[in-house]
Amino acid sequence: MTPSFDNVLVLGGGVAGMAAARTLGDRNITVHLVEAADQLGGHAASWACMATDVCRHCGACLARDMAHQTALHPKISIHLNTTLDTLEKIGQGFDIRLTSGETIPAARIILATGFSPFAPDPSLLPGLHFTEHDKVITTTQLNQMLKDETLTDFLGTATPPEIAFIQCVGSRNRRLERDFCSQVCCKISLRHTRKLLHILPDAAITLFHLDLQTIGKETRCLAADLSLMIEMAQGIPAEILEDQDTGRLRLVTEDPGTRSRIARSFDLVVLSVGMSPSPELEKMASRLGITPNHWGFFNTKDASLADGIYAAGCAAGPKDILGSKQEGCIAAAKVLEDMGHKPEKQTDVLVWGDGAQAVTIARTLAKKGHRTICFNRNIPDTKAASGQEITFTDPGKILSVDGVAGHFTIRHETDGTKKTVTCKTIIAAPEPEFTTPAGQGTFSKAIDIDAFSRIPVDQLSDTSVILLDYTGPEYKAASRLALTSAMAAQNTGRQVTVVMHKMLVHGALGQQLYDQARKAGVKFLRVNTPGDIQIQPTKTGFSVTLDEATLPGIPITLLCSTLAIGVSPLPGPDFENTAGLLKQRLDREGFLQSANIRHRLTQSPRRGIYFAGTCHDEVDDTDLAAELNDIMAGIDFTGPVRDFGVEVNQKKCVQCLTCLRICPHNAIVLNEKSRPEIVAEACFGCHLCVANCPALAIASEQFSTDQVAALAGKGQVAVLACQRSAALAAGPLDLPGHIRLISVPCACRINQNLVLKTLLNGADKVIVTGCHEENCQSMDGTATAAAEVDRLLAIPGITPDKVSWHSVAANETRTFARILSDAKIS
Amino acid sequence: MKTATRNTDTDLSRLLNRLTRGDNIDECLTCGICNSRCTWFDGPGGPIPRQIVRMAVLGLEDALVSSNMLWDCLVCNRCTQECPMGITMDLVVTRARGMAAADGQIPEDIKKGIKTRLELGDVNGLTKEEFVETVEWMSEEFSDEMEDPEALIPHDQAGCKFLYLPNPRELGINLMHLTAMAKLFYAMKETWTLSSHHTDVTNWGYFVGKDDVAKEMARMVVEPAEALGIETLVLSECGHGYHVLKCRVARLLGREPKFNVVSIPELCLSYAQKGILRFDPDVHPYEIAYHDPCNVARKSGGYDPPRQLLDMCCHGVKELVPNREDGVCCGGGGGILQDSTTTQKRMITGKPKADQMRATGLKHLATACLSCHRQLGELSTHFELGMKVDTVAALASESLVL
Repeated sequence: MTPSFDNVLVLGGGVAGMAAARTLGDRNITVHLVEAADQLGGHAASWACMATDVCRHCGACLARDMAHQTALHPKISIHLNTTLDTLEKIGQGFDIRLTSGETIPAARIILATGFSPFAPDPSLLPGLHFTEHDKVITTTQLNQMLKDETLTDFLGTATPPEIAFIQCVGSRNRRLERDFCSQVCCKISLRHTRKLLHILPDAAITLFHLDLQTIGKETRCLAADLSLMIEMAQGIPAEILEDQDTGRLRLVTEDPGTRSRIARSFDLVVLSVGMSPSPELEKMASRLGITPNHWGFFNTKDASLADGIYAAGCAAGPKDILGSKQEGCIAAAKVLEDMGHKPEKQTDVLVWGDGAQAVTIARTLAKKGHRTICFNRNIPDTKAASGQEITFTDPGKILSVDGVAGHFTIRHETDGTKKTVTCKTIIAAPEPEFTTPAGQGTFSKAIDIDAFSRIPVDQLSDTSVILLDYTGPEYKAASRLALTSAMAAQNTGRQVTVVMHKMLVHGALGQQLYDQARKAGVKFLRVNTPGDIQIQPTKTGFSVTLDEATLPGIPITLLCSTLAIGVSPLPGPDFENTAGLLKQRLDREGFLQSANIRHRLTQSPRRGIYFAGTCHDEVDDTDLAAELNDIMAGIDFTGPVRDFGVEVNQKKCVQCLTCLRICPHNAIVLNEKSRPEIVAEACFGCHLCVANCPALAIASEQFSTDQVAALAGKGQVAVLACQRSAALAAGPLDLPGHIRLISVPCACRINQNLVLKTLLNGADKVIVTGCHEENCQSMDGTATAAAEVDRLLAIPGITPDKVSWHSVAANETRTFARILSDAKIS
Repeated sequence: MKTATRNTDTDLSRLLNRLTRGDNIDECLTCGICNSRCTWFDGPGGPIPRQIVRMAVLGLEDALVSSNMLWDCLVCNRCTQECPMGITMDLVVTRARGMAAADGQIPEDIKKGIKTRLELGDVNGLTKEEFVETVEWMSEEFSDEMEDPEALIPHDQAGCKFLYLPNPRELGINLMHLTAMAKLFYAMKETWTLSSHHTDVTNWGYFVGKDDVAKEMARMVVEPAEALGIETLVLSECGHGYHVLKCRVARLLGREPKFNVVSIPELCLSYAQKGILRFDPDVHPYEIAYHDPCNVARKSGGYDPPRQLLDMCCHGVKELVPNREDGVCCGGGGGILQDSTTTQKRMITGKPKADQMRATGLKHLATACLSCHRQLGELSTHFELGMKVDTVAALASESLVL
């Protein structure tokens, strides 16, 4: 008998597994989520919050939030402390037996077993003496101390402490057969460093790195800030010695100043360890009949999955939390598609952007069957393939974007004629500005790296120099282009030298590509700053003289016929206008989309509006393809609409339109009668409108002021906690009787009225808790709540003892417990 | 500003980049791991391994030669141990030393030693006649000592099982050592001989990175040994001599020699394991520390036999920390010991080793290389460690139960 194959088995309850399970569950598929540990969340859930005064965008708190949502999902059946026992392929599906003894049929299997941190085994890396010194720890151990708030005790009396981070422990190392970059360790160490400085402002921190992988908008900004606060030293020590007199740890490093090696002492050395596949994956592979690559992952072509089995998250290869979440959604969408699920309705998509990436995006969507309009001022001379509906339109001047997901109306003006376009989804992909000094001044005869990569090999000159990150921050697309084009030239007998500050080796094969390029004979020269390079045009080309970072005091001259210069993307001229029209924020560097991890990688706080490509983050072709799959998974397989029970009482409404103005999600529109109406499809349920309606005309079923203010009993401490952060942190705690935890949808639900009423109702004090700044799903909820508390404190008689504000992330249970234990009843 | 012009088409880069994976300096990742692994922990100066590789990669040969790093390097390969790309530093440094442009840097003592070794077969200039006279006199003494007319130190006897290749110090300043070795062969009850045609285990051609010299020195050992028809060539305790004759000889000569090669401690161990040699550990009733000679251990894989033999001759072996693959050079490697002008410098290069020695808290240390032995003894005196330094084979000879 063929079992009923409408189930999906997801192996691994980490971020990728949960994201996949929820995407499937939202489409009414029964999901069996199998997790070997005793709780959902995977490694991400065990990670400490990296927030300092603001959120540092690590995404770890999302794991708690997702675990909470996943557990509540009616279509997801969770099997904890369980793994796959046996598996039998039956027809198109599988008959599965779990270690718990349960048998379940499944049409498809998603493998999301995650990773395990690389163990700096002394037999592999004896010089680190990892097990011998207690002050030599891994990033995993540091994380645990940060989470438990035990670091200061562990450091003891060392003030101010000197701390070293050593990057690439167990990564980028061919000797260890680990010739891949683990993708996340540089980001982790940068965030750890920032967090340490927050806790220990006097700490002197040195980050020893190979090429600091500053990839991604949040990482680049953080690294730029930290470069002024810590020492970043290129070169990674592989030996940790102990000073026999002081017991301090010593690292021998090169001192460019004295041109010799020096021993430097530290109180703590943190080994930034890479990622290995989880032991669970190794066990599963044989049972599933699949073969990982020689690293143990599924991120290269030599790894093979079986029919009906999909890999997502770190099982597929090292990646960060947001990347894992994205991959979980994509895998689920692929499963749905392969199981014959079709998008419920055709979607009209507007792709907004003038560059080549926008064209790629539009074509990709059209190919998937979406009716696509592309606002593009450089209309490409192409026809859509048969069956594709794609229109390229020069929009002229875009005047306004109104409406909500499913009903956007865009007005634009071309040649004096006003036109209107409607669509269900908008993908913003305006063209950034690519800057290069090539072609100007001294560089009039230089070319940019894109042009260099397009030169046919038979026309290449004998000697070329590529200035990689000469003009701006490192940019991974340029790094990749430098590697591939230099290698191609070198392999046809040309000499290529790449001058760089650092090499970015992103992606599964980045490190191997870099290794191959060096082996092919491409020379790579390092400089500390562009100021270390002097360039002179010569009769036949250029003379480039530089202070090479690894050879201080020996200026090196390169003579070349061709000089190619990398390009850096800068915010495009349209970005500000686009952001304004879409009512979206720019990030710190001026790119589209804020760094808020609640919506990244591709979404905006306004449902139906997405970002893709270099307009919002450093994105190469592989990333862009993933982004589009993620977006399409979202628009094809949207979840059910949630009713938050918030409604405008039209009888009370005075049409002041405050709500329309302040809604962070643009979920309130004017209806045909010109009255404000909350659109459920666009609402995130934050209750900012409820808290701020001057006419008290917005009703909430569950969170009206009176309802909430009545929850705390007399003499109790009322803790108003955001559902997505502090309330989740409180989850594992056994709260004492005098604490009344009141879960609210967002910290912005509170206002002076609510807090005062709570106190009047007899609460002893009110503690307001919510996300860290820049982490709020509704963008400004944290700032709004904190400001309300400040205003309350200005009222005579209201003291900080009575009303206070605290940021607590979902994974800061320990912090939350400390705040509560400090709150004694007066 | 004087600048160096990058030149990839140099003799050195051609030589180095022609090599297979692991020796291709172009693959250097500039990770800097080598810098942290170099034995010169303390004090200014000393080589910076990454700079050596980078100068070689970029063809900056003049800068490399004038940096003094080539002859400061102890060629211990401690950096190589952790190199993610498997770049072998001894090869890089010796190749660079071997460039004609670097000839001026070769220490005078080494030049002189090579000259006499090539002319006379002995680095100290011992002539064939002097050798025969010394050995025959010692053979008589040995007979008397053993009270056995059959106990001899034979030379130039064809068809023996073993040919013993001594260290030049055994025929010069340390004759007692040769007698001690003779005692071991005597106890093995096997035929053995010395050869007046080649009296020297050393091969300074390796230090100067000149393949033609190294090859000629190896030939001077291999051909007469083959002519004698011996089964096994037994090497005196000499680190680089062992490394060259064990690991490099086939590459140098383009063929395998027609005999086996073992070191004297390895040979003793195998005869002890067969039950033929017996040792009394109470002759040395103390725990002893063991120093891994880089050439024997890290470069040739000879970690265990000296320890096992030592364990039979003393009351336990204590490890220096770190040791084995991770061991620290005595500070006299790479030819620095053979240069008589370096006495002061060797007390800097040897400081980490002296610290290790002191940390053992012991009074006795052994090693399996006569160069290390001399350096370690000098360190003990200089740093007032009060440690007696012996070689493993010498201790074995003392412990021998006849």
